[in-house]
Amino acid sequence: MTAATLAIAARESRAELLKALRTPEYVVPTLVFPPAFYALFGLALARDASASLYLMATYGVFAALGPALFGFATGVAFEREQGLLALKRVFPMPAWAYPAAKLATALSMTFVLLLVLYALAVFAGGVRLAPGAWALMLAVHLGSVFPFALMGIVLGYSLKGQGAVAIANVLFFLLSIVGGLWIPLHVMPAWMGQAAVLLPSYHLAELALTVAGYERGPATPTHLGVVALWCVLMAGVFAIVQRRAAM
Amino acid sequence: MDAEGAAVTLRRAAKRYGGTVALDGLDLEVAGAGVTAILGPNGAGKSTAVGLMLGRLLPDAGEVRLFGRDPRDLAARRRVGAMLQSATLPPQLTVREQVALFAGYYPSPLPVAEAIRLAGLTGLEDRRCRALSGGQQRRVQFALALVGRPDLLVLDEPTVGLDLEARRALWASVRALVAGGAGVILTTHHLEEAEALADRIVVIDRGRVLADDTAAGVKAMVATRTIRCRTALPDATLRAMPDVRSVARSGVHAVIATAEAERTLRALLGADPDLADLTVTGASLEEAFVSLTGAQAADPLVAPAERSVA
Repeated sequence: MTAATLAIAARESRAELLKALRTPEYVVPTLVFPPAFYALFGLALARDASASLYLMATYGVFAALGPALFGFATGVAFEREQGLLALKRVFPMPAWAYPAAKLATALSMTFVLLLVLYALAVFAGGVRLAPGAWALMLAVHLGSVFPFALMGIVLGYSLKGQGAVAIANVLFFLLSIVGGLWIPLHVMPAWMGQAAVLLPSYHLAELALTVAGYERGPATPTHLGVVALWCVLMAGVFAIVQRRAAM
Repeated sequence: MDAEGAAVTLRRAAKRYGGTVALDGLDLEVAGAGVTAILGPNGAGKSTAVGLMLGRLLPDAGEVRLFGRDPRDLAARRRVGAMLQSATLPPQLTVREQVALFAGYYPSPLPVAEAIRLAGLTGLEDRRCRALSGGQQRRVQFALALVGRPDLLVLDEPTVGLDLEARRALWASVRALVAGGAGVILTTHHLEEAEALADRIVVIDRGRVLADDTAAGVKAMVATRTIRCRTALPDATLRAMPDVRSVARSGVHAVIATAEAERTLRALLGADPDLADLTVTGASLEEAFVSLTGAQAADPLVAPAERSVA
């Protein structure tokens, strides 16, 4: 990885970010939903700072979901379908620059969203955390981008544009609602809590809740283990679908 | 590798998709200067050949080299710029952003404004690709292909979707690039395009090379003369005459491609005393092409792409 290829990846990331910001159907669910929903459920309808903290932990995972899932699933699917991916591959762009640029875009959009979310939590919700806990919270929330991005890239390589949009939307709501990102699972029907343990979004939210001091249920290693298992599974599926898509 | 180093080498390259043979042991070497046209009907294997030389596809058998390297090698790709047949550019980026992004892939690219000028896009720099016509989008892709100052441009059907004026402008730019020392490989089913641009024409069909020569050579190799006349003789009789390569009908006229016009004419005039409206001309490339690919052409004025290929 030379300075020249890093510069290519940086320019690729900048172009990717411009593309994202100029696409309203991507900007609305990814940039508007998380702070808007948090302001409603985590602040306006919350009874105290404790509820605001709880939901800040789960909405931080939600903030990572949109940019990663839509950026990869619909972005890759459309660009594959339109032949842009094939065009880029015949140009001297290092192959890794393409997913790296999408990842950089998802991470930077999530980062901006998290700053907005944390500011709302602190200044409007009265949330207080120790500096170390803030750092861990940020790490969990930004880290959530990776499993969702892997899921997105698998969809992007398996489906055509419109199909990927449809499935990404279903997953977006499934992972958010059943994973307990929008409304705490303990106020939802019991079956939802049982289904949630299968989803990486639930385990990421539990990790964030542990950082916030809401430790209950399985311990941290279990949550990390399930998330890691998901990542390995998705990476394996990706290796298969990518090889098939290349032929 | 020979000392000069061919830009592209395909050696007995084979590629199939399921049960369909796209390339059937294709041999092709392109030295790297001048314009080489790969000519053939749809489904002849042109795009597959291009896909192999650009490293987009892998051959099932045989060998493919780009500047002596594996075509997937970045060092090889840095010497190549390409236009693919079916690529849509991101609608959200402007022409300038798009060209600048691709310029950045190369070690010493042209200034972005220069590439935009060469592709005939001056005045459209700040237009987003979403707002461009199909022909303008093709020109942006041409700008992408040339912005890296490549030694070789590989253009897959570069003028599809362009109007006549834009096509002529692209040809002029291709000639300017070639004059500057670049090599160009282009695929086309526009025979006019191959004749206008190419130093060398490689005719392929069903994944094999049928002819590989200069435009004049391709003509000489097949139907050297075309006989047009009105005759009551059936096609089968005409086809059986000496040196006849192909027989077609154009309205009331029979169009006979022949290797030896004098011998065919002697037989023709002997067989049909009522023969009328006789003309004998040198073959156009269209006719050469029809004869080479062995198609039952209805009318030599119809572009081969519009024929159905068995």
